[in-house]
Amino acid sequence: MLEVKNLGVAYGDVRAVWDISFHVNVGEIVVLIGPNGAGKTSTLRSIAGLQPIVAGQVDYLNKPIHQPKLFTHAHELVSQGIVLVHEGRRLFGSMSVSENLELGAFSPQARKVKNRTLTQVFEMFPRLAERKDQRANTMSGGEQQMLAIGRAMMGLPKLLILDEPSLGLAPLVVKLIFDVIRELNQQGMTILLVEQNAKRALALASRAYVIEQGRIAGTGTGAALLNDPNVQHSYLGGVL
Amino acid sequence: MNFETLLQTLVFGFFVGSLYGVAAIGLSLVFGVMKILNVAHGELMMLAGYVSYFVFSLFGIDPFVSILISIPVLFCVGLLLDRLVYRRIHLLTGEAKIKNSLLVSFGLSLILQALAIQFFTADERAIQASYSGYSLTLGGIILPYTRLISLFIIFGVISLLHWFLQRTITGKAIRAAAEDAEAANLAGINIQRFYMLTLALSAALSGLAGSLVIIGYGITPTVGVVWLLRGLIVVVLAGTGSIFGTFSAGILLGLVEAISSTLFGAASREIVGLVMFLVVLVLRPQGLFGKKG
Amino acid sequence: MNKYRMILVVLLAAVLALLPMLLRRDDLINLAFMVLLYICLGQSWNMLSGFAGQTNLGHSAFFGIGALVTRWLWATLELPVMLAMILGGLAAAAFAMVIGVPTFRLRGAYFAIGMLALGEMMHAVIAQVLPFNDTLPVQLIAGYSLAMRYYVALILTIIILGFSTWLLRKPISLGLFAVREDEDAARASGVNPLYHKLFALALSSFFGGVTGGLYAYHQVSYYPQSVFGGNWTLDALLITYIGGLGTVIGPVVGSLFFVALRELFSSIFASFNLVVFGALFIVIVLAFPGGLVELLRKFQRGR
Repeated sequence: MLEVKNLGVAYGDVRAVWDISFHVNVGEIVVLIGPNGAGKTSTLRSIAGLQPIVAGQVDYLNKPIHQPKLFTHAHELVSQGIVLVHEGRRLFGSMSVSENLELGAFSPQARKVKNRTLTQVFEMFPRLAERKDQRANTMSGGEQQMLAIGRAMMGLPKLLILDEPSLGLAPLVVKLIFDVIRELNQQGMTILLVEQNAKRALALASRAYVIEQGRIAGTGTGAALLNDPNVQHSYLGGVL
Repeated sequence: MNFETLLQTLVFGFFVGSLYGVAAIGLSLVFGVMKILNVAHGELMMLAGYVSYFVFSLFGIDPFVSILISIPVLFCVGLLLDRLVYRRIHLLTGEAKIKNSLLVSFGLSLILQALAIQFFTADERAIQASYSGYSLTLGGIILPYTRLISLFIIFGVISLLHWFLQRTITGKAIRAAAEDAEAANLAGINIQRFYMLTLALSAALSGLAGSLVIIGYGITPTVGVVWLLRGLIVVVLAGTGSIFGTFSAGILLGLVEAISSTLFGAASREIVGLVMFLVVLVLRPQGLFGKKG
Repeated sequence: MNKYRMILVVLLAAVLALLPMLLRRDDLINLAFMVLLYICLGQSWNMLSGFAGQTNLGHSAFFGIGALVTRWLWATLELPVMLAMILGGLAAAAFAMVIGVPTFRLRGAYFAIGMLALGEMMHAVIAQVLPFNDTLPVQLIAGYSLAMRYYVALILTIIILGFSTWLLRKPISLGLFAVREDEDAARASGVNPLYHKLFALALSSFFGGVTGGLYAYHQVSYYPQSVFGGNWTLDALLITYIGGLGTVIGPVVGSLFFVALRELFSSIFASFNLVVFGALFIVIVLAFPGGLVELLRKFQRGR
């Protein structure tokens, strides 16, 4: 579904991603793990069409969407089914929950079935239904993350990309978020996930990649990486 | 000075203040959404004034009706300017973007002024409609019909704008782009297109303001900077948070100017606003143009 | 400096020194004067806005104060004109130091519009306080020599350009550049931004004031408010940007271009030069931040 080949990303003269290749098949949950500053967020931003790439190629549904001379903007990718839940949630803070969700369904095809999707989102997150008139920035971190995922769902993603969805959340909420990710996947959504909480993420993953210093440092099934001593040492807090 | 004179002065301050408000709303819309400081806004008003002037003098179209022409004309000018000039600034971010937008629109205002001098001459133009001299008198206070109609139209237009931004999906998309352009882009909103629309809306507002200015006050090719500065003062006072907040600040400036010109003479009217401007600017250099509060 | 360049410089100096004799016609000498005046104006603006990166949209205030003070000291109190010009520059610098501390709390575009408001305010105040036309006394008009004006302008131009060249070789200019590129980074590396900005402002306002004095020396009669007009700021900005912001040679190229274009179009399409200048300015800000100087250099290298 998504094929990233020798991706390179730079901000001015500063190179954030050197050479990253991976792929995501339909129906998978693919996880990227790695230390801070390894280039995970840059990779996701590039795929989603926020940051032009300087090297390599990204294919989506067997068609190139990004090359050094080809840049597909985020809003075009949204209508093709790639939706990113950005690190830090990035809600429209001064707007209500309903308005945020409404804007999530901005693309024409999503707008047509807006009401149906909204029902699904409210089923998955009853909290959002209760708070639909509340301003987004007055909600708790967990509720904001639910809204961020809900807003992404409104865009009818085929490939949902999540960047650090559990960051700064209480353990119970983290569990809820991961349950939601699993459920969305079971409903047929393909997921690409970057997570600090590597243990939970790997437990969920079909496959995973380790990214270090802008390069792929390892790959395998989620279970295999969970048992890899190096991964355990670096990302899972040593001993399990 | 008696009470009646004071009241009369305040009433005229209120009328002119409502125009400051409209000028400022256009400026603050572009600044709030696009982070662009469009100092050519006054020249856009000037252009609209001439549109009204010429359709009146050539075709005898009533100046208030001519708003229906000047608004779409300026809307298109806005689209064009975004395509030709401002689009290139969107690539920049933060301070560099604001500063470059300031410089570029400065150059633009120069071009528009020079063209206006060339084609419209430097003479002052105003429109005298058949009903211009008539007014309503309430308890000794004179309320000219032209000003009352202007005020009525202004209220109508800004209420419409408020409704548009708050209630329609397009308006919400504009607000979303203002709050977080990347997040809006990720929600499927084509930022470029909505920036273009915002600039065109702002230009359309300057169309309204310019047409009303030539009815009540008069226009020269170099009048732009006067209205620009009034608009900037109001934006600095009110921030970019709400339309009605900006409008009220416009009225406030009109009233303060009126009071100051009765107390210290007519010339102080230009100075008092600038003093307010500098004081506010220096007292809150960071919070400037920020959200209210 | 090689021999070839040496000869060129000597030749240029000779031409400039003998220009009034060579040109003979008053209108041409006047054009030469205007070029020099604009060089001084542009370069004085450049010291703050180019070297230190603080775009100043209120430079007309310094120009105006310099003009008024010089005129008063020279025409009314009969001081020697050079002394009057220096004092005019000092008056402008003193004013600048008073307003500098509060206005430098503003950054970037906010500083620019703050200064714009300040410049407009001075304009409005002077229009109110000094509404009458100011004409030179009869004895000064009787002895009026345009060539003399030209030589004073030439001396001032040489001083300003020489000073700028010297300044750019001093360590303090590195501090100015640091503030221009990134104020926070400059502070982090031990450069005091306020001190550097005030230093640049002092120089810019002083030379701006002296240039105003030069204009006051040149004009037989003017309205005091006219020397506070926003056009002085605008011209300085256009000349410097189009020539090359932050360079010594930029305002020279810009001024020559500015005056030449104005003369060229004045007979056919009076304000067309401003249309061309405005358009060129926009293109330069958006695409060629180095101005004409940079373009010429590229062209030379490309050849």
